[in-house]
Amino acid sequence: MGLTLKVWRQKNTKAQGGFETYQVKDISSEMSFLEMFDVLNERLINEGKEPIAFDHDCREGICGMCSMHINGRAHGPWAGTTTCQLHMRAFKDGDTITVEPWRAEAFPVLKDLTVDRGAFDRIIESGGFISVNTGNAVDANAIPIPKDKADAAFAAAACIGCGACVAACKNSSAMLFVSAKVSQLAQLPQGEPERATRALNMVAQMDKEGFGSCTNTGACEAECPKEISLTNIARLNREFIRAGFTYEK
Amino acid sequence: MKWSQFFDTSIGKKILVGATGFFLCSFVLVHLAGNVQLLYNDGGKAFNSYAAFMGHNSLIQFIAWGLKIVILLHAIIALQLTFSNRKARPVKYAINPGNQTSSWFSRQMAVMGSILLIFIIIHLADFWWKFHFGNVPTINYDATGEPVKDLYSTVQYAFKEGWLVALYVIGMIGLSFHLVHGFKSAFQTFGLNHVKYNGLINFIGVWLFGILIPIGFAAIPVVIFFK
Repeated sequence: MGLTLKVWRQKNTKAQGGFETYQVKDISSEMSFLEMFDVLNERLINEGKEPIAFDHDCREGICGMCSMHINGRAHGPWAGTTTCQLHMRAFKDGDTITVEPWRAEAFPVLKDLTVDRGAFDRIIESGGFISVNTGNAVDANAIPIPKDKADAAFAAAACIGCGACVAACKNSSAMLFVSAKVSQLAQLPQGEPERATRALNMVAQMDKEGFGSCTNTGACEAECPKEISLTNIARLNREFIRAGFTYEK
Repeated sequence: MKWSQFFDTSIGKKILVGATGFFLCSFVLVHLAGNVQLLYNDGGKAFNSYAAFMGHNSLIQFIAWGLKIVILLHAIIALQLTFSNRKARPVKYAINPGNQTSSWFSRQMAVMGSILLIFIIIHLADFWWKFHFGNVPTINYDATGEPVKDLYSTVQYAFKEGWLVALYVIGMIGLSFHLVHGFKSAFQTFGLNHVKYNGLINFIGVWLFGILIPIGFAAIPVVIFFK
């Protein structure tokens, strides 16, 4: 198939960016969206032009690196899918596809479609961890955990930190990400020692990074490639209220 | 975390918006129950004595002033959040998903809230200010009783103006669209998202606060206009 691509090009964080239009031909419907970009980049390199910078790593939907806003949708039109798992059969011959980077004050554009998601790392550093004793690994089933709690914690742990929630939110809110990390740990006995400080510190760091607040539109849940649920945001709110009202420091 | 820090976080501010929002939801219920008396065919006896009671009871007056503070708090904090949310995305997308990923109502909270705020200011200037500080004729229903201010006739007269009726209907459309999302959103902010209650919360938010109450309010000026 042949396509018209309108791609955001930006030299560096400070430079003024803009859209450039490219025509691509002979794209197979079985190609992934990133492979289509590989084809285009090969051509740009052969023509002596600067290839389009975009993030990618595992290309099997689990690393959370790919981050394209495709025709107004984070990770493109398919639900529960990362950009690398989006295939060209999602488009028709002759389509025009507009590709933009994640847009948020907290995610500055580094180059073209690559953004700096370091803000997420700093949020994790502020509380997204548990304390464990060193030494031999403990027996996996030493602590009894109800199956439904283990499942809910595991579903939250599926978050790959790609930032699609921030990209999809009209407020650039990171609540779905933070709530997934808090939910993963707060529901398990292992997460209990830091339960209060985790909620307080991660929310404080989230605000400090310049993410917006949540207005419960649900766009994050709709766009999340790992289908993290809004119930996690309610849990984060509960954890934060509980800590704020009862934690003595 | 100190209280001052807690209520300065994004979630802390949202809790204030949600709590004041719940108070305002309870207010619209009470306000509609009182206003329905405007449609009685009793020459305003029930409504005027109700208005006199509300205007003179000191507990009600205390709550009424509290209500104005709550409205201001709700609006100021929500606008503050709206502006910081705008700042969180300095460069806008060329293409937005529209209704594909979120409901239209959920994205228009600030717009509908602003329409409501303007409406409330006009509404207060129109009737509350007149009733308390303006010249409202008095009427005496009982030869031995105290004369009461005839707010009923003032309202009946005011709603003969087509543009004012239209303004009230627009205000109530704003209320409807604001509460369709706002009621259930406040529950989510307080952390209440549970399969056993979500259906009921959604039902009350949409049908009672989003549809029935705004229609009830809007019906009063419309009925008076066509009477």
